[in-house]
Amino acid sequence: MNVRVALLVVALVVISLAAVAFGPVSLAPVELWRVVVGDADPVSRTIVLDVRAPRVVLALLVGAALGLSGSVLQGALRNALAEPYLLGVSGGAAVGAVTATAFGWNDPTVLSLAAFGGALVAVFLVMAIARASGRTADPRILLMAGVVVGAFANAAIMVLLATAPPEAARGALWWMMGSLGSAQWTDTLRLGVVLVVAGAALLHWARDLDALALGPDAAAALGVSPEVASRRFYLTASLLAAATVAAAGLVGFVGLLVPHVARALVGARHRAVLVVSALAGSALVVASDLAARTARAPAELPLGAVTAMVGVPFFLSLLRRMR
Amino acid sequence: MSVFRFLSRGSAGRRWYAAVVSLCVACGGATGETPPAVDDLGDPLPPPGARSRIVSLNPATTEILFALGAGDRLVGRTRWDSWPPEVVAVPDLGDGIRPSVETVISARPDLVVLYAAGDNRDAAQALRAAGIAVMSLRIDLIEQFERATLLLGETIGATQRARTVVDSVRAKLDRVRDAASALGSRPTVFILSWETPLMTIGSGSFLSELVEIAGGRNVFGDLDGPSPQISFEEVLRRDPTFVLGRPETAGKLGASDRWRGLPAVRDGRVLVMDTLLVGRPGVRLGEAAVSLARLLHPGILP
Repeated sequence: MNVRVALLVVALVVISLAAVAFGPVSLAPVELWRVVVGDADPVSRTIVLDVRAPRVVLALLVGAALGLSGSVLQGALRNALAEPYLLGVSGGAAVGAVTATAFGWNDPTVLSLAAFGGALVAVFLVMAIARASGRTADPRILLMAGVVVGAFANAAIMVLLATAPPEAARGALWWMMGSLGSAQWTDTLRLGVVLVVAGAALLHWARDLDALALGPDAAAALGVSPEVASRRFYLTASLLAAATVAAAGLVGFVGLLVPHVARALVGARHRAVLVVSALAGSALVVASDLAARTARAPAELPLGAVTAMVGVPFFLSLLRRMR
Repeated sequence: MSVFRFLSRGSAGRRWYAAVVSLCVACGGATGETPPAVDDLGDPLPPPGARSRIVSLNPATTEILFALGAGDRLVGRTRWDSWPPEVVAVPDLGDGIRPSVETVISARPDLVVLYAAGDNRDAAQALRAAGIAVMSLRIDLIEQFERATLLLGETIGATQRARTVVDSVRAKLDRVRDAASALGSRPTVFILSWETPLMTIGSGSFLSELVEIAGGRNVFGDLDGPSPQISFEEVLRRDPTFVLGRPETAGKLGASDRWRGLPAVRDGRVLVMDTLLVGRPGVRLGEAAVSLARLLHPGILP
């Protein structure tokens, strides 16, 4: 295996351990050891095992899902700037969540379901628009449909926020900036199941992505139907993205940046790119969540803001190296 | 259906809910069963006990706890808590909305009092999962302040003291109400809550109640909810006698062309409220009412 990928795995393990060890409350190393051994004071145990651990695991899952989704969409759309929320996911999820908060349904589960539902509706809308134009295999039509649905969603959100009570607006805004603050083991389990199923399917179909990358005619010549394969990838990638949004709100930049890192590390074969994207995505989100919790403790920065702040310089340095 | 009403934000919804609950309590009393008591997020109330480590994440409840003599039992407050002066000795745990659960847990409380906003449901759940008693309270109206004080008193074992606090506040408010109503005049008041977007205080807020007690009439008292959004045209149409605003905004109204279109501003009838005193539904409601009464009717209650 590639040395650099091995280093990535080590980095992921180290950052995950750090994320459990550090937080707004400082715990002495000996206290952390006692938590592991089972001999610690109950408050420390609660903080490490019930507050931090589910959050770190959820961060790993969200990062992996976003990394996978981003790399799949970049491959299927043959566009290096594609990202998980492209096909209406962010707009639809935000409309779902804002509608729920505007009606006062602040229960976290209801909010997740509303976001997920909104995302699915938007994705189907985007696919329907593309199909109506008759050219589903052409990525540009899909991208345009995504932009249009996204613009409509933004308008709807603005209207909802303008007419909602001020408290609802604050809640909706917070949700849209992304946060792992309400991580519980149940959310983790749900996302875990989706990730395992979708991830397995995508890895199984990874060779079709290599074919699609050559263009629709070449792909057809290789026995891969562009329409069928593309649709499968768009829907699975969007489902993964919608599931992450249901768990953590909108976390931007991860799905865009991470596939570039993966391709720089392991080349263009998609099976490897998907795996490395998942690993790199996990590392990025865990590191960003740690920064979000500790940079201005006890206040918490929005996760989406931190991933962008961490990701942008990284992306710029990658661009420089690619020249 | 009552659940739906409970979820709606309007005070009409709350009054309806209060009526239904009272009916249930009355029925329950008749049959000898009491309905489960819930806090303002719908969760069961913690049982009464000797709470020795209390975290209060709401300036109003912090004031109440100090008044109940539990100030020395507080181990956490928000950064916004400013009264009484002794509150600075209590550790600052950050914000009251979306508090850092970890930081609250590390203070080892046996009771956490949260502000009952939808945003705090996650925190309430997480703290309960960690085995800590949580009470979420929302204090928008004077009757809710009284309810919160009595509930807090019961939960921390200071029921008698709570009764005394409530009675004392009520007595002060009654004094102001009587003095103001003896005057005969009741000027209309526009309470400027926020400029962009333009928001006022509706009948769902204690501030509107205080203005009424102080001998004024909230010109937007017909609107439900604590802080509804309104149009400037509507303010012009209602032509209030006074404009009541925060120090930061009230001073600038005279210089604004738009605002000078309002007779109250043009003729200099802009009143500046002491927000630290009047802005919080806490134990100083009586003093807040006096302060407003003196603004509206100079010379009253010397």
